[in-house]
Amino acid sequence: MKKICLVITGLCLSIIGAFAQVSDSSAYKSRKLVVEEVNLVSSYYHQDGNNSAVEGGIGSEKLTDFANILEVKMYHYDKKNRKHSWALEAGIDYYTSASSDRIDTKANSSASSSDIRFYPMVSCNMENEVKGTNIGLHASFSTEFDYQSIGFGASFGKKSKDRNRELTLRAQAYLDQVSIILPIELRGFGGGGEDEGYPREARNSYSFSASVSQVINERLQLMLITELVKQDGFLALPFHRVIFNDNSPARSEKLPSSRFKVPIGLRANYFMGDHLVLRSFYRYYQDDWGLNSHTADIEAVYKFSSFVSLTPFYRYYKQTAIDYFAPYQQHKPTDEFYTSNYDLSAFTSHFYGAGIRLGAPRGVLGIKKWNMVEIRYGRYNRSTNLNANIISMHLKFK
Amino acid sequence: MQLYKRVLRLMGNRFEFTVVLPPDENIFAEHVIDLAVAEVSRIERLLTTYDEKSQTNQVNNAAGEHAVAVDHEVFKLIERSLRISILTQGAFDISYGSLDKKLWNFDKTMTSLPEPETARKMVRLINFRNIILDAENTTVMLKEKGMRIGFGGIGKGYAAERAKKVMQDAGIKNGIVNAAGDLTTWGFQPDGKPWTIGIAHPDASHQPFSVLEISNAAVATSGNYEKFVMIGGKKYSHTIDPKTGLPVSGIKSVTIVSTNAEIADAMATPIMVMGIKVGLDLINQMSQIACIIIDDHDRLYTSKNIKLT
Repeated sequence: MKKICLVITGLCLSIIGAFAQVSDSSAYKSRKLVVEEVNLVSSYYHQDGNNSAVEGGIGSEKLTDFANILEVKMYHYDKKNRKHSWALEAGIDYYTSASSDRIDTKANSSASSSDIRFYPMVSCNMENEVKGTNIGLHASFSTEFDYQSIGFGASFGKKSKDRNRELTLRAQAYLDQVSIILPIELRGFGGGGEDEGYPREARNSYSFSASVSQVINERLQLMLITELVKQDGFLALPFHRVIFNDNSPARSEKLPSSRFKVPIGLRANYFMGDHLVLRSFYRYYQDDWGLNSHTADIEAVYKFSSFVSLTPFYRYYKQTAIDYFAPYQQHKPTDEFYTSNYDLSAFTSHFYGAGIRLGAPRGVLGIKKWNMVEIRYGRYNRSTNLNANIISMHLKFK
Repeated sequence: MQLYKRVLRLMGNRFEFTVVLPPDENIFAEHVIDLAVAEVSRIERLLTTYDEKSQTNQVNNAAGEHAVAVDHEVFKLIERSLRISILTQGAFDISYGSLDKKLWNFDKTMTSLPEPETARKMVRLINFRNIILDAENTTVMLKEKGMRIGFGGIGKGYAAERAKKVMQDAGIKNGIVNAAGDLTTWGFQPDGKPWTIGIAHPDASHQPFSVLEISNAAVATSGNYEKFVMIGGKKYSHTIDPKTGLPVSGIKSVTIVSTNAEIADAMATPIMVMGIKVGLDLINQMSQIACIIIDDHDRLYTSKNIKLT
């Protein structure tokens, strides 16, 4: 069963359980809610006929989260203990914060200044609904601890008259500055170890992508996609060490300063009646470092009834090694380029499994409140000795 | 599995879309995010008050005169808004846009509050009961001339839910839509862990005071942050109580956790308006919703379903 965990890292927040000092607002009074109001959240869309937003697929699992008490863990720290707080912050990717202009009715277009400061971005989009065309331009700037990026791009879309075919072209360029964080023993002295000590290198990426999607008929949808990518600059991951065959000192991996990638993929979705949906995907990929790969993926959703469905899936992936790969202690120190990162070695992987979902409107195992259970099992095999079994179970309670 | 993200400005806010897909799936990721962006843009066009032809403005321009037919979708959104208005005793009200700013306006340099009578006059047109819905013809009528509605308090949450729906329908099993801090999550991070959400400290919006781990849940925060004034030693927020017309005081921020971003978005500000006691009492009676309040003295209050350990 899932639990919600709230970790308080507090800037001197105190917890109050009693309401001794809370003054009552005169305009609003506590009142007893009627049943419908108590269940507002679960019944929110029911009057809408739009159950799917809350009931369909994964959405329905949402309800389990609130069946339980949410657990809150308290942490206290002071300014001397900053490292601790940094570690916590490093794990946070998303923030909830008030966009202070929310209640202003002009919120629809006003800026919240604090956002602009960190993520300036301009974009414009022109859509011609009659012609079915769409032209967009954008530019962005973002800065993070070890990354600075300037990006711009343009896109063009065109729908066919019957709206069954859509072409999208997109060109993008990103000019990035990457901080080079070396393995600790390869760092020079004097840097002090703080963030100012890391040298920065340029990494630029230019891409052009094209995709065509086509609705063949009510049952079959296809999409053909390709994206040409040219990268130049510092493309290695400096924290990867390479150990050579002659006991010479370890070095950080070294790779060419340019890479050209060409993938081409086809995606097909087939709706076979009300009971079966097939989703499939194939891609071929090649680059000028010598890596080429095939990916094939198929997933089926079979509904036996509205209460029981089975979803088997299989994903196949095969790639060749890049020209500069050699295992541990097999690179010669005279090699121009070297890496021992196994993600760039030759391997084949298989990922397969299935999920089964059982819904019981009158309750699973006679437990009235328990009305759905879903179990997924997946096995991942990679030829470079990486195997994993993944089992997940989701329960839903009313 | 890895994260694919795009950040852009939509509905006047910073939107961030994140999906989890296997490596080298960037083209499909872009395609799915395109779908989500198109959905949010569509909702923006429908609801904006900046376009005279938007459905919102058609309704506003006919205030006191006649009913206006709107899309089923807009009608239902208004219907749900009214349910929240009743629930919050009018602290949430989409006719908040009827605020008469000619009489008095909140700004950071003010040194005194308006007379209670002036303040009440200012909000005289705010009344969700004067939004008349006709389900048969899906029309909306604003009873009083000069009345205006707007979706600033619920539109972002609605857009986030819709964007999530569009991406789920395209087969995305894990992701986040973050509409300027009002965010909705589903599934898990690439490493299989729940999403980690920081709640910004009300005094330093770039720094979290707490960390929340959620999956398949939505979070929204409302707060006065920098937008407040000190009058007579008391802090007043830019949020105006639609009943009294006076700025709200006492609470720095309210965070709502629920299963639905639209509800989380819509409930955060009214709780701030209703006050700690009444607000918590309301949330405590409801299921599938939780709330974290920080008052002006940095004290933390939570609804009963949050346990401190």
